[in-house]
Amino acid sequence: MLKYLLKRLGSTVLILFGATLLSFVIMINTGDPLADLREMQSDNVEYLMQERIERMGLDQPWYIRYWDWLSGILGCFGGSCDFGTTMTGAQVTPVIMAAAEQSLRLVFVATIAAIVIGVLTGIVTAMRQYSLLDYLVTFFIFLFWSLPVFWAAVLAKEWLAIRYNDWMMEPHFTWTNILVLATILAIFVPMVLGGNAKRRLITGGIMFAFVCAVLPWMNAVNFMTHPRLGPVIILIGSLMLAAGFTALIAGIRNRRVLYSGLTVVALGMVAYYATWNLLQDPPGGWLFLGAMFVLTIAICVVIGRSMGGHARGQATAVSVLTGALMSGMILLDHFMYHWPGLLSAKPRPVSTIGSHTPTLDENFWVTALDQMTQLWLPSVLMALLSLATYTRYTRSSMLEVQKQDFVRTARAKGVTERTVILKHAFRNAMIPLVTIVAFDFAALISGSIVVEQVFGWNAMGNVFITGMQTNDPAPVMAFILVTGSVAVLFNLLADILYAVLDPRIRV
Amino acid sequence: MELRKLSAATAILASGALVLSACTPGDDTGGDNGDTNGDNGAANGDADPGDAEGQEFTVEPEDGGKADLGDDFETAEDEISVSLGPQPFNSYNGLTPSNYNVYNSTIVDRLFDGFSYVGTDLEIYTNEEFGSYEVISEDPFTVEYTINDEVEWSDGTPVTVADYVLDWGTSRYIGEGMFDGISPNFGTYVPDGPQAESYDSKTFTVEYPDGAYADWELMVQYAHPSHIVAQETGIEQEELVDAILEGDEDMIEDIAETWNTLWETDPGTLPDEDLIPSSGPYILSDWQDGEYVTLEANENYWGTPPGVSTLVFQFVDNAAHVQALQNGDLNAIVPTETVDTRTELENLVEQGQHAMHVGDKATWEHLDIQYGEGSPFAETPELAEAFALCVPRDQILENLIHPVNPDAELQNAREVLSFQPNYDEIVAETYDGQYDTADVEAAAEIIEEHGAEGTEILIGHNGQERRHDTVELIQASCGEAGFEIEDGGDVDIDIAAGEWDVALFAWAGSGQIASGLNIYGWDRENDEPRPQNWTNYNNDDVSDAFETIATSDDEDEIQEQIIALEQAMWEDLHGIPLYVHPGITAWDSSIANVRPTPAQSQLVWNVEQWQRVAE
Repeated sequence: MLKYLLKRLGSTVLILFGATLLSFVIMINTGDPLADLREMQSDNVEYLMQERIERMGLDQPWYIRYWDWLSGILGCFGGSCDFGTTMTGAQVTPVIMAAAEQSLRLVFVATIAAIVIGVLTGIVTAMRQYSLLDYLVTFFIFLFWSLPVFWAAVLAKEWLAIRYNDWMMEPHFTWTNILVLATILAIFVPMVLGGNAKRRLITGGIMFAFVCAVLPWMNAVNFMTHPRLGPVIILIGSLMLAAGFTALIAGIRNRRVLYSGLTVVALGMVAYYATWNLLQDPPGGWLFLGAMFVLTIAICVVIGRSMGGHARGQATAVSVLTGALMSGMILLDHFMYHWPGLLSAKPRPVSTIGSHTPTLDENFWVTALDQMTQLWLPSVLMALLSLATYTRYTRSSMLEVQKQDFVRTARAKGVTERTVILKHAFRNAMIPLVTIVAFDFAALISGSIVVEQVFGWNAMGNVFITGMQTNDPAPVMAFILVTGSVAVLFNLLADILYAVLDPRIRV
Repeated sequence: MELRKLSAATAILASGALVLSACTPGDDTGGDNGDTNGDNGAANGDADPGDAEGQEFTVEPEDGGKADLGDDFETAEDEISVSLGPQPFNSYNGLTPSNYNVYNSTIVDRLFDGFSYVGTDLEIYTNEEFGSYEVISEDPFTVEYTINDEVEWSDGTPVTVADYVLDWGTSRYIGEGMFDGISPNFGTYVPDGPQAESYDSKTFTVEYPDGAYADWELMVQYAHPSHIVAQETGIEQEELVDAILEGDEDMIEDIAETWNTLWETDPGTLPDEDLIPSSGPYILSDWQDGEYVTLEANENYWGTPPGVSTLVFQFVDNAAHVQALQNGDLNAIVPTETVDTRTELENLVEQGQHAMHVGDKATWEHLDIQYGEGSPFAETPELAEAFALCVPRDQILENLIHPVNPDAELQNAREVLSFQPNYDEIVAETYDGQYDTADVEAAAEIIEEHGAEGTEILIGHNGQERRHDTVELIQASCGEAGFEIEDGGDVDIDIAAGEWDVALFAWAGSGQIASGLNIYGWDRENDEPRPQNWTNYNNDDVSDAFETIATSDDEDEIQEQIIALEQAMWEDLHGIPLYVHPGITAWDSSIANVRPTPAQSQLVWNVEQWQRVAE
């Protein structure tokens, strides 16, 4: 394995070297970096041109210029990267760092959302092949897929930002809203859950009643402006999770597993109260929250292993899952607690431009909420646009695998349908998907140019476009190097994942 | 005169991208020329180009200059967001070649007050709160400047002649190893620099030994803090002044090194706040590279306080402006000038929360005819008339400009724009409407006469959509007359190299009077075209007129010379002016005192007067 990895890393470096060399030579031979000066009306143009020629080394042969650039990059191995300077003499390194961070924020959430939703939808549509649900999903997926980004962005801004903000001025669900939403869910949810006609009718009815009860309650407690989960909902939710996971993984009669789950819930409630004040202003922000989460998981593992007895594996799984989701609920509750704070600083919460609000000077939670509301529009857009690929690939891959002999064998020996789908079919269906994910991630980083422009983010795409327009090689090369590295690295990761997922592959 | 970018690259940036070049420090404001000095805001009978429906004022302006807001005007705890386009902020020092552009100026102009500014009527107005200036001698031409006593930097240091000596130094000692300045003009025309009693005087004189210079009012504008530069160089302010005035090269090199590098930081990081004091109403407070710059009101400002405590300049693609305005993310915008934008904004204005303005920009589109070698007009100059006759100017205006700005007129001059007060007077004497409408038959006759049927004409431009449409209209009309028009917008040609028969582009005005010399003049000493005379145009009368203008400060004489040169250029058919570019601006109508201007200082030219008022 180690030898394979080293071999792959070696070829990765070679590929990057070739790619940068090629693009550098093409870059410096297209366009005129002096174009703006040639059209400048000033008495010192000659001097300015000479100065720029010397600064950018325009009079040097290509291999010397490439070497100059490369030697800065090679500094990365010594711990000090130097991506060179732009045409105006500004350092590219801080620019590209900031842009990469922005791009990652922009792309990461969208990609994760697209993968999770896309794969789930794919599985469901594969299970209900040729049903009304299947056709409906296919229709909408392709509709999203074929939308031009800039136009979809205009629609998203209109409906998800401007109209939502208008509504948020006085948020209130009318009975028309409630009935329409209830009807849609009453039709849609049974389609997903399936079952015979009677069961569908019951799920539909429950769904309808549920919506008709919850939305008026939300109106009554001003949920849209002052949302809270509160200890009661967190407790009930966590207890349901603990019981549910136990039932799924070990069976509800396995008391040791159930008790470890319940212990986690109890400790979680204690922690919820104990850390409330500390978390009001978490020292170190996200890092601190991350550390808290790791600690939580570690405690859950300890509880599972010590209380689980002979079923300690299952107990650990249950307590870790319960603990993780309960942390999520507590986090959500904190965010909800600060939502009114965001609304008072920013009465129209969803903006159509920018990565954050310029003059917002608030605590950690409000700042984070602000970043999320700014991220919301571009993320939804990018996720919707790449949803199609995941859904369709998962669906066809699942359908193919389900027809294979080993799935039939598993069914024949009486394995439950859930195990067949998740353990036998899905795991194998994932293999081709891994390649797509790897490709898509790199494509998303470089392909967010339009989204950045439309939403006024200054991320990687912007650096690239600006560099191209001014025929400035350093920023363009930095873009190529960073996105190129991400692309080859993710391909490498995909290959390694193959070995993990597919027992037939040995390296 | 600033030049509208010709390369295809800029076309992608934004249709309204004005370019990054000019001649004199601080001349980024203003329009093309015309009568720039003299009677400020003379009544001209035309409506103020900045008037718009739904506009609010705290004090109605009397002329094209800034209104006097009164002594009780106070800064409100409030925030206003504005975007002019995606072009980012570069630096506090906007007077180096890499930082000097219209968009950087829109921000740094808020940090530095100067002696004058350009109003909505493109007249030059004196900034009376800052100081005053007057011509005290005609021979040698000498101007006396007085800075008001209370004028000081936000760190408490008074603004004095020392700052202007530094400003002069960046022009006098420009070049390698010296100041990375943008223009040698100040240093060349004023060889001795600003003269004063002592280094910290508030009064100084500027002497032009070679006679008057037409653009003298734009020569002395705002200055950088010389006390900061002196401190960072490790010398006293007095030493700095002496070194520059006496030409002590060693010390000037040190000072230049400081001035060149002091304010250059990584994009997104402002220099230390002690190093960037402000002499204007706002100070720089935050900078997110490529996204926004925020300005805070200068608490130690000596003039009328600015309207709001926080200004945010956002760098947003113009196509995203309307929705951002609607959502309140931006409060004042300059969207793309299209029919769609106009319609969207009209709907928005109807709801009563916003105001919009459709008007002119100080940028004008024209066709230049190449008389140099290789062009059909070089062999048979008479064909130029045939071409001018077949260009459907009225149709171009009607089809391409009227949908956006129904009030737009044909532009019939080069040195004065159609919305300026003296335009009608000048055009009445220089042009009688013979090329307003295409006369295909007359054009065909001339072509036949010279046996030039099927002559190919390459029209070079930067590939913008509107220019493609323009060429298409010309193709239809001139094709009928017998020319073969080729659209050069898709070909990679170097416009500045003159590789075309006709060029379609725009000049953006800068407020300078003398800049036309470089475009239309012939350098008779060296017998070569001047730097931007790409058509090799050589007419002694025109060169004479421009040379007279360049050394004149007499308004009547300048107008006379403009009439002479316009006549000659119509006669010679140097080129065919087409139209003035339309501009759209819109803002939240609760903000008072917003006044659009055609000048390049753009919508924000009086941003320190903006304030929200209760409706």
